[in-house]
Amino acid sequence: MVTQATADVVWAALETVADPEIPAVSVVDMGMILSVAVGDEKAQVIVLPTFTGCPAIGVIEQDVRSAVSAVEGVEEVEIRMSFDPPWTSGRITPEGRRKLKDFGLAPPTGEGPVLVTEIGLPSEAICPFCGSKDTTNQSLFGPTPCRAIYHCSSCKNPFEQFKAV
Amino acid sequence: MTEALVAIVTSLGDDELILGHRHAEWTGFAPHIEEDVAFSSIAQDEIGHAAAYYSIASSLTGLTRDALALGRSQGEYRHAVLCERPNSDWAYTITRQWLYDRADSLRLTALEDSAHDALRHLATKIRREERYHLIHADMWMERIAHGPIEGRTKLTRAATTALSATAGLFEPFEREADAIGEGWLTVPSEELGRRFLSEAVDALDGLGLPAEVTPDGWRAEFVASSSGDLIATAPSDPGETSTPAGLGGRSGRHSPDFSELWADMTRTYRADPEATW
Repeated sequence: MVTQATADVVWAALETVADPEIPAVSVVDMGMILSVAVGDEKAQVIVLPTFTGCPAIGVIEQDVRSAVSAVEGVEEVEIRMSFDPPWTSGRITPEGRRKLKDFGLAPPTGEGPVLVTEIGLPSEAICPFCGSKDTTNQSLFGPTPCRAIYHCSSCKNPFEQFKAV
Repeated sequence: MTEALVAIVTSLGDDELILGHRHAEWTGFAPHIEEDVAFSSIAQDEIGHAAAYYSIASSLTGLTRDALALGRSQGEYRHAVLCERPNSDWAYTITRQWLYDRADSLRLTALEDSAHDALRHLATKIRREERYHLIHADMWMERIAHGPIEGRTKLTRAATTALSATAGLFEPFEREADAIGEGWLTVPSEELGRRFLSEAVDALDGLGLPAEVTPDGWRAEFVASSSGDLIATAPSDPGETSTPAGLGGRSGRHSPDFSELWADMTRTYRADPEATW
């Protein structure tokens, strides 16, 4: 008796695939999975890379492949990287935002940016450690292209802000 | 027809790769740690964008991305001469980044209307990421332009040299007419160049650096202010050795600066092109 894989089971498997640079969140939390299609023992997953130049893309593809391959009833896996639609920080799920904050990384707020011209640092960055808005930007760039560096004047901690894009 | 598309993605990829390589030269050497991180990040973005353009080229030519990035002879690269210029001083680095990213933003905006799906999708994604490069460049241009006279003078010298070489970014791609015919490009490069120039001159004026441009449009002469807070700089172009205005890159004519960069950038690849990484 052959077990039929379903899209739900594949989504559940994808929830175990961590973002290699932010292990607290999964690729699903990050909104990187556009779609999952399952049929005839074949699974097709469309992945939206967060940043084009992200060096973790190769690792993500590999991890997605091995997680989906491990699903019972899946014999063939096709993974497609797509820029259509472009990944935006608005795709990060509420659960993903909560996990980012617990990880010590200020999540991007709101649904945007929708327009290209709205992309930039937040007018108010909220310290993920103490919740203060009394913060200042120290550097537009950080340890990865997707993060900026801030300092909190209330709890005196430096912190990283996930950039809206 | 495919050649026209290969020419576009190769030119765009080469611009990003070669300027990304120059930006990466600041890693470990920038004036302070934040800028070390900034230029390393911008370099990573640009080289990543190059890889994405080469993916399209790869699907059309069958060559691998590594072979495209590192396995070509110097004359096969199609980037603008502006991108290969040495970093020189901080004012030049910033001015070039400012000019390049403004020019890039303009052409990406135009590519968002391309009839070629992969190119249009990629341009749309890249333009969003590039916003942070523009913010970085604007912040530094304002800081130097509103600072002491030494910095402002260096800025005008850098702008005089870099602006003329920026013309090279708007040289037509090879077989551009074919690409326009297919709708892959919607605005001719030279037309984009004229738009860029008028925007750039306005922006320089807004920074308190009023420039008069020569009739060809690509040489700036900065006007000395009566208060003496800006030294006039006439168009002098000692650095532009390939051709007077830094043209030729789109047809593979590069300056000796590129020979040095190319030898450095491709050394490891050439040692064993068949190696698996």
